[in-house]
Amino acid sequence: MRLEHSQSSSKIGARILIIEDESTIAELLRTGLTYEGFRVSVVSGGEEGLECADKEDFDLVILDLMLPDIDGFEICRRLRLRGNDIPIIMLTARREIPDRIKGLNMGADDYVTKPFSFEELVARIRAVLRRRGSAAEPTQLSAADITLDLEAHEAYKGGKPLELTPTEFALLELFLRHPRRVFTRETLLNRIWGLDYEGDRNVVDVHISNLRRKLGDRERRLIRTIYGIGYSFRPD
Amino acid sequence: MTLLYLGLLSALICLLGAILYTDTKHFLISTTALRLRAQAKPVIERWFATGPGLPAPLAPPSPPSPGLPPAPPSESRQPSSGPVEQLTEDTAVSLSQALTSRDTTALVIDNQGHILATGRRLPEEPPAAPPDPQRINRALAGENEITYIDIANGQRTLVVLIPLRRTPTDPRILGVVQLNTPLATIDQILWRQRLLIGAGIIVAVLLGALGGLWITGSALAPLKRMIATCKRIAAGDLSQRVNLPRHYDEVGQLAAAFDDMVAHLEKAFAAQRRFVAAAAHELRTPLTAIKGSLEVLLRGSLDDKAAATKLIQGMYREVTRLNRLAEQLLSLTRLDTPVLIHKEKVNLAQFLNTVVQEAKLMAQERVITLNPGYPIVLEADPDSLKQVFYNLIDNAIRHTREGGKIEIGWGKKHASVEIWVADDGEGIPPTDLPHIFEPFYRGDRSRSRRRGGAGLGLSLAKGIVEAHGGTISVESSLGKGTCFRIRLPISDPERG
Repeated sequence: MRLEHSQSSSKIGARILIIEDESTIAELLRTGLTYEGFRVSVVSGGEEGLECADKEDFDLVILDLMLPDIDGFEICRRLRLRGNDIPIIMLTARREIPDRIKGLNMGADDYVTKPFSFEELVARIRAVLRRRGSAAEPTQLSAADITLDLEAHEAYKGGKPLELTPTEFALLELFLRHPRRVFTRETLLNRIWGLDYEGDRNVVDVHISNLRRKLGDRERRLIRTIYGIGYSFRPD
Repeated sequence: MTLLYLGLLSALICLLGAILYTDTKHFLISTTALRLRAQAKPVIERWFATGPGLPAPLAPPSPPSPGLPPAPPSESRQPSSGPVEQLTEDTAVSLSQALTSRDTTALVIDNQGHILATGRRLPEEPPAAPPDPQRINRALAGENEITYIDIANGQRTLVVLIPLRRTPTDPRILGVVQLNTPLATIDQILWRQRLLIGAGIIVAVLLGALGGLWITGSALAPLKRMIATCKRIAAGDLSQRVNLPRHYDEVGQLAAAFDDMVAHLEKAFAAQRRFVAAAAHELRTPLTAIKGSLEVLLRGSLDDKAAATKLIQGMYREVTRLNRLAEQLLSLTRLDTPVLIHKEKVNLAQFLNTVVQEAKLMAQERVITLNPGYPIVLEADPDSLKQVFYNLIDNAIRHTREGGKIEIGWGKKHASVEIWVADDGEGIPPTDLPHIFEPFYRGDRSRSRRRGGAGLGLSLAKGIVEAHGGTISVESSLGKGTCFRIRLPISDPERG
């Protein structure tokens, strides 16, 4: 199995190794995590996974427990035995408490059970990376003269604090994470308001307008309207 | 139950006591009466024969009383008198005195019912009961055996009446002798008897009650244990057992049979639970993939057409897998309903030919050959039998390399036909071999689902073959190949 690297648009995206033999799940993780700005490699076997983790420099491993050759616990144990302390998130259908405890005792950083929420998985990946002090997951995002402190949940423009609602903060965080990417209204709705949001679709426009006002972006140069598609953040 | 038994027991003991008591009473009284008659008989005979002059031989001679000389006039007057012909006052006195002793007093009564003489001379001799005219008349009329109990001077007294005849066959009755003897001694014996029987009854009933309680208790204890066990099982704990030590009585056998039954149930339930858990697990994996893919698409990947297409294709594969899984689960549950197997005559050569032709379409570069045997006609459900062979061929395809060979053939064995599906694939490890027909079982080598299948195909095949009254077996050697053998009974051996 050859390694497949997917370079994201972000220059600083964390490198994630996915060891998963279920092709559909591997594919959705690759596509989804790449879209989130991570650089993703996928292997389907335990031996390959160990080899990759040793040879290349990854920031995090997502490890399925049920693999055809070596089981996930064993991979975790061997990695730790070799002194490799790369962050590991275990992904498994085994949801019993003893399995979780075993996983965490083997040196896993987190344990996510199938069926999982992708949003939660991303949040856990970021949390593990931050906790491990990985340079790939900053606690601050900056673009133009805007700075977001993700831990304190505070926003600054030109050094002055901004009063943002949680929704506006989430919108701004998404824009800062993916500068220049064009987001459709639907994508923004799904990501910020949730997949089960059924309310008025104009809330996106209303919140973008409020955000622009608070950023002093009257000419709409920072948050551009892409006609017929959606919005894009252009810090340059 | 226990009370009923106790009541019955005490009633029986009381009845027994009563019978014993009355019998003793009758025996004692009739022996006394008999003794009186037996003792009186020779005295009366001698009196008739020799006259009243003789001393009474009946009882030990009474101590001579100073006040009353023993029958002075009659004895002195008739020392050599002849046989008694008439009952006079004198002769009566001598008779009554001869018959009287310390425990018996005799009255002599003439044929008119008047008392001619009483033999009681001493105060320690018992008092006589007043004669009962009716009974005297009956005795005078010739009745020999009159015995009754009366009260004399406040004492219960046994009264015996003896008609006086010169010879036993003489119809003329001169009078009646009434013998009176007090029942004090007998009554004392009987009183003691009553006391003993009463005490005996109480002791027996008490012992019976205790013994009964003990016996029923020890007989019911295992049943009570079974009841308790049943309740715990009903509460959901199938691991409970009665666990009686193996007795050879019926209760012990019942308990053992009960335990066996619960053990079977527990096994069946455990198998059911494992099956459901495995099925849920099989459902969870594709559902996770579909849910995750949808989430990723909606979070923005839909905007990237190439990525979106890949995800949608993956979801399509998973839905296909779910669909197949649902079909197989349904087929497996249907096997429990034999009505759904519609048997008809199946020409094996034709049938397998069709199967192989269709299997070649999904062969993916494997060589499938049919090796025909004798023409055979089977009674089978062609649709479900087709499923068996598709599953076996599908299994063979998944476990052989490209260019691998799969051979299907059959042969007759006694009253059955053996059909085999053999491949030259990777084989099955000996550790997996005993389990491959279990639902959802996947060996290590086939655990990866990329090889497809949920692990239901072989158990489905086994179920269908067994519903046809046949058997399925497998032999395999690692690296050389696997051979499944199906044995089905032939409906009409002559046509086979």
